[in-house]
Amino acid sequence: MRDRLLILSVFVVASCGLAYELIAGALASYLLGDSVLQFSSIIGCYLFAMGVGSHLSQYVKDERVLDTFIEIELLVALLGGLSASALFAVFAWSGESFRLMLYALVFLTGAMVGMEIPLVMRALNQRQQRFAELVSRVLTFDYLGALAVSLLFPIVLAPRLGLARSALLFGLSNVAVALWTCRVFRAELVRPTLQYLRSLLVLLVLGGGFIAADELTRWNEKAIYGDDVIHAETTPYQRLVLTRWKGDLRLYINGNLQFSSRDEHRYHEALVHPVLGALPWARRVLILGGGDGLAAREVLKYPNVQQVTLVDLDPAMTGLFARSAPLVALNGGSLQSPRLRVVNDDAARWLERHGEVFDAIIVDFPDPSSFALGKLYSVPLYRLLSRHLAENGLAVVQSTSPYHAPRSYWSIYATLQAAGLATTPYHAYVPSFGEWGFIIAAHRPGYTPPQAYRVPMKFLDREATRQMFFFPPDMRRWNVLPNELNNQILVHYFEQDWSQVIR
Amino acid sequence: MQRRDFLRTAALLAGLPLLGGCRQVLGWGLPIDVFRPGMAAGHRLRDAASLPPPRGTRRVDTVIVGSGVAGLFAGWRLAREGYRDFVLLNGPEPDGNAAGGAFGEWRYPTGAHYLPLPSPESAHVRTLLAEMGVIEAGGASLRPTFDERVLVHAPDERLWRDGQWQDGLLPRGLGADDDAQQRRFLLHVKQLQQQHGTDGRRVFTVPTALASTDPAWRALDRQSFASWLAAHGYTAPGLLWYLDYCCRDDYGSTLAQTSAWAGLHYFAARGGHAANAEDGAVLTWPDGLAPLLRHMRSRIGAERQLPGAAWRIQMQGQQAQVDYVDAGGAQRLLARRVIVATPLHVAWHLLPSMRSLGFERAHLPPRAPWLVGNVLLDRFPQEPEQSTLAWDNVVYGSTGLGYVVATHQLIRVALPERTVFTTYHAFADAAPDATRPWLAAAGADALFELATQDLYTVYGARLRRHLLAARLTVRAHAMASPQPGFLANAGLAALRAADGPILFAHSDLSGLSLFEEAAWWGDVAARRVLG
Ligand SMILES: Cc1cc2nc3c(=O)[nH]c(=O)nc-3n(C[C@H](O)[C@H](O)[C@H](O)COP(=O)(O)OP(=O)(O)OC[C@H]3O[C@@H](n4cnc5c(N)ncnc54)[C@H](O)[C@@H]3O)c2cc1C
Repeated sequence: MRDRLLILSVFVVASCGLAYELIAGALASYLLGDSVLQFSSIIGCYLFAMGVGSHLSQYVKDERVLDTFIEIELLVALLGGLSASALFAVFAWSGESFRLMLYALVFLTGAMVGMEIPLVMRALNQRQQRFAELVSRVLTFDYLGALAVSLLFPIVLAPRLGLARSALLFGLSNVAVALWTCRVFRAELVRPTLQYLRSLLVLLVLGGGFIAADELTRWNEKAIYGDDVIHAETTPYQRLVLTRWKGDLRLYINGNLQFSSRDEHRYHEALVHPVLGALPWARRVLILGGGDGLAAREVLKYPNVQQVTLVDLDPAMTGLFARSAPLVALNGGSLQSPRLRVVNDDAARWLERHGEVFDAIIVDFPDPSSFALGKLYSVPLYRLLSRHLAENGLAVVQSTSPYHAPRSYWSIYATLQAAGLATTPYHAYVPSFGEWGFIIAAHRPGYTPPQAYRVPMKFLDREATRQMFFFPPDMRRWNVLPNELNNQILVHYFEQDWSQVIR
Repeated sequence: MQRRDFLRTAALLAGLPLLGGCRQVLGWGLPIDVFRPGMAAGHRLRDAASLPPPRGTRRVDTVIVGSGVAGLFAGWRLAREGYRDFVLLNGPEPDGNAAGGAFGEWRYPTGAHYLPLPSPESAHVRTLLAEMGVIEAGGASLRPTFDERVLVHAPDERLWRDGQWQDGLLPRGLGADDDAQQRRFLLHVKQLQQQHGTDGRRVFTVPTALASTDPAWRALDRQSFASWLAAHGYTAPGLLWYLDYCCRDDYGSTLAQTSAWAGLHYFAARGGHAANAEDGAVLTWPDGLAPLLRHMRSRIGAERQLPGAAWRIQMQGQQAQVDYVDAGGAQRLLARRVIVATPLHVAWHLLPSMRSLGFERAHLPPRAPWLVGNVLLDRFPQEPEQSTLAWDNVVYGSTGLGYVVATHQLIRVALPERTVFTTYHAFADAAPDATRPWLAAAGADALFELATQDLYTVYGARLRRHLLAARLTVRAHAMASPQPGFLANAGLAALRAADGPILFAHSDLSGLSLFEEAAWWGDVAARRVLG
C-alpha cells in the first residue's frame, strides 16, 4: 500500500516537472518572442539539467534517501512554484539579467527534478521490489504524469489561472507530496519533525503567493509602467492602461500618456474656458474625443449649458470613466450627468452624418502622428466642423505644442485659416506635457479672451488667461504650410518636430 | 501501359488539382460572386437571334444608346444646355467601365478608379467637375483648387519588391544605371509635355483629338513603345518593368504591343496642376469614378433613362429607328438623331450600315480582357512596421496590377472596421481570343485565384482571416488597346467625323480608353445635336 502511494507520487512529481518546463517556455516566448527558439532551448537546458541531477543522485547516502527526497521536493516546490512570478519580476525590474536568470532557474529546477525519480527508485528498491517491475511501474507513471500536464496546461491551466498561478499550483503539489511522504514514512526518516516543519513553511509561502498572485502581477506591470496599474484593458480600438502612484492617476492609451490627475486640470481648464467663458449664452456644446469626461466636467460647470454631446469612439473608455469610482471622483461624474449625451461613434463619421449645430465645439483629437490621424487636421474636416458651429459660436482645437512642435502647431493654425476660419492661438503650461497649444476658431474674427470667470477654477484667472494668449519670442509663429491631404505635410512636420525633442 | 508510365500519369492526375488549387483552399468557404456584365446580351446580339415585332413606338428628337461615360456625358451636356427632348438607353451595363458597386455601406469600383488632374485641354471635364463642386475655384485657370476630399490622400502609392514596400511605383535600389535611366526618362517626358508640333498644338494631349497632327510626331505611332525605348537607350530592367506596368494599367497591353505614341502619351499628355495638390495627383472616390456618373445621371433626370438593350439601329426614311428589348419585350424609338455610345464591336452588330459610313470589320480596335476583383475585409491586415497602406499598392514583377483601397479617402479617428480592396488584372500576355473562352468558362475559384494573386503575395495566407466576401467582374472586351498604327485607323476617323442622323460617341473612337476621351466624344456628339 505505502509503495503504491510512493508510485503515485511519481505521477505528481513527473507532472510538476514537465509543467515547470512548459511554463518557462511559455513565459520566455511571451516576453522574448520567437517561441520555437525559446521552447527548444529551454527544453534542451532542462533535459540536460535532469541528466546532471540523476548523476548527482548517486551521492545521496542510502539511509538519507527519503529525507533527501523530501528536501528536493521542497526545493522544487519553491524554485518551480515561484519561477513564473520571479521571472516576470526580473523582466519588469531589470530586463538585462532576464535571460541569465531564466536559464539558471530552468537548470536548477531541471537538476532537482532529475534527482526525484532515481531517489524514488532507490527508496522502492530498498523495500525489495522486483527490479523489472519497479522500473516499468515508475516509468509508466512518470510518462503518464507528463501526458496529463501536457494536455492540462495549455487547455485549462494557462488560460484559466495564468502562468504565475499555474506555477504556484504545481509548487503546492510538490509540497503536498513532501508532506504526505513525511506522514507515511515518518518512522523511516532521519529527522521527521524538521522535515514536517520545513514542508509547512514552504506550504505557507506558496499558499500566500497563490493568493497574492494578482497583486504580484500588478506590482510587476507597475514596474513596466512605473506606477501601480489599476486597470488595463484591450478594447477593439485601443489599449487602455490606468495607473496610480501616490494619488496620481494616469491614463495611457496605446502607451501614450493622456493625462495625469495631478495637472490635468491645467490642460482641461485651458481647453474649455477660453471658449465657454466667452460664450455666456452657450446652450449646446459638442466635445469630440475626450471620453475621459474631464473636458465635460469643465463644460458642465456652466449652468447656461443645457446639453453636452460627447462623441467618443470607444464604449469601453466612456464606460470605464462612467463607472470606476476613482475616475468618477476625478471627472465629477460628468459622464452620468443628465445634461450630457454620450455618442459612441467615430467623431469624423458622426460629423459627416449629422447636421446638428452647436454654440461651442471642443476638439480633443489624438496628435497627428500618423497619416490616418493627420487627416483630422485638414481643410475638409475643419469645413465640416464649421458647418456644425453656430454663427457666433466658437470652436477650440488641441493643436500639439507650440514650443516642442512649432511646425505642427503653426501648420494646424494655417490649416484652420485655409478652411476659412478666424483663428486665435494660445498655450498653457501643463507639467506632464510641457508647453501645450490650442487654437480657437470662429466664423468671424473678433474673439477676445474672457476677463473673468463665473465658475470655480484651479488654474485660470484673469492674469493666467492673459498670459496664455501672449506668445513670447521663443514661441513666435513659424512660417509653415497648411496641411493638405494630398501630401499630409503635417505628419512630416510632426515627425520632424518630435525627433528633435529628447524627452 | 508500362507501370512507370502509369505511376507518372497517376501522380500527375493526383497532383494537378493540388497544384492548381492551392488558392482554392485559401478561398475556401468564401462567398464568391462572378459578374460578366453585358456578356449575355452581347452574345445574343452577335448570334443574331430574331426579334419579335416591337410592342410600342415612341418618338423623340434624340436617342443616346449606351450609358457609359460617353453616353452619359452626351446626355449631361444636352441637359445642361436646356435641351430636353431625348432619352438614354442604359444598355446591359449601366455606367459601363466606370461602374461601381457596394457591399452594404462599403462602396468599390468595378472599373475606372481615378481621374488625373484635368489639363487645360480637358475643359469639358473641368466644367463637369466644377458643376459637381469638385473644382472649388479657378476652373479655367492653370491651377484650379480641388475639393481635398477627392484629391488622393497621402500615402498614395507604394511598391512591393523583394518582400518589402517602398514608396512610389518607380522601383528604387536597382543600381545606379537604373536610377539614372529613370531620371533621364522622367526628364525626357517632361520635355515632351511642352513639345509642340508644326501646327502649334501640343504633341500629346488629353483629349487626343486636340493633339498635334504634325506627321513627324505622329510617326511615333508606327513603332512599338518597346522598340522606341530600345532605340533611345532605355534598357534598365526596373524602368522597363515600370513602363510595362503603366501600359498594362492604362491600356491592357505590354510594352511590345503598345504604340510608342500611346506609351509616351500616358506620361506626356497629363499636364494638369492643382492649387492645393502636387503635380501628378489624381482624383478618386471610394467607388472609383462612379460618383461622376451619378452626378451626370441626376442632371439628365431619371425620366429620360430607359432600361433595355438596343437590338437594331437603322434608317427609316429620314428617321433613325432604334429597336430595343427591355423586361417588357421589344420596343421601338424613332428619332431625328441617334448617338451610338456602345463599344464599337457592339455597334458593328447593331448597325447594318457601318460599312456605308466607311467602317470595316478590320477597323475594330483590338480589345484587352480585364478582371476586376473586389474583396470585403473585416479589419485591415497587419502591415509591416515601416510601411503604411497606400491607396494604390503594386507588386513588382507581377502580372497583376496590384490593389486599390476603397476606404482610403475616408477621414476617420480610427481605422474603419471594414474595407474593400480592389484588384486589377489585365490579360496582356496571351492573345485575347485565347483568353476569352477561358474567361467565359472559368469557375469562381480559378478567377478568385487570379484576382487575389497580389494580395496573397503581400499578406500570405493570413489574408484569409480578413476576407468576408469576393465579387469578381469579368470584362472580356474591356477596352481598346492602342497598338502601333492605331492613330491611322481610317474607320475610326470616319466615325469620329460622322455628323448625319447617326453619331458615335465612345472611348473606342480615340483608340484608347480614358474617362476624358469617352467624355470628349460624348461632348462632341451632344454639340452636333445642339447644332
Ligand atoms: C478595369 C478598367 C479600369 C479603368 N480605369 C480607368 C481609370 O482609372 N481612369 C480612367 O480615366 N479610365 C479608366 N478606364 C477606362 C474608362 O473606364 C473608360 O474609358 C470609360 O469608362 C469608357 O466609357 P465609354 O462610354 O466609352 O464606354 P463603356 O464604358 O464601354 O460603356 C458602354 C455602354 O454601352 C452600353 N451598351 C452595350 N451594349 C448595348 C446595347 N446593345 N444597347 C444599349 N447599350 C449598350 C453599356 O450598357 C454601357 O453602358 C478603365 C477601364 C477598365 C476596363
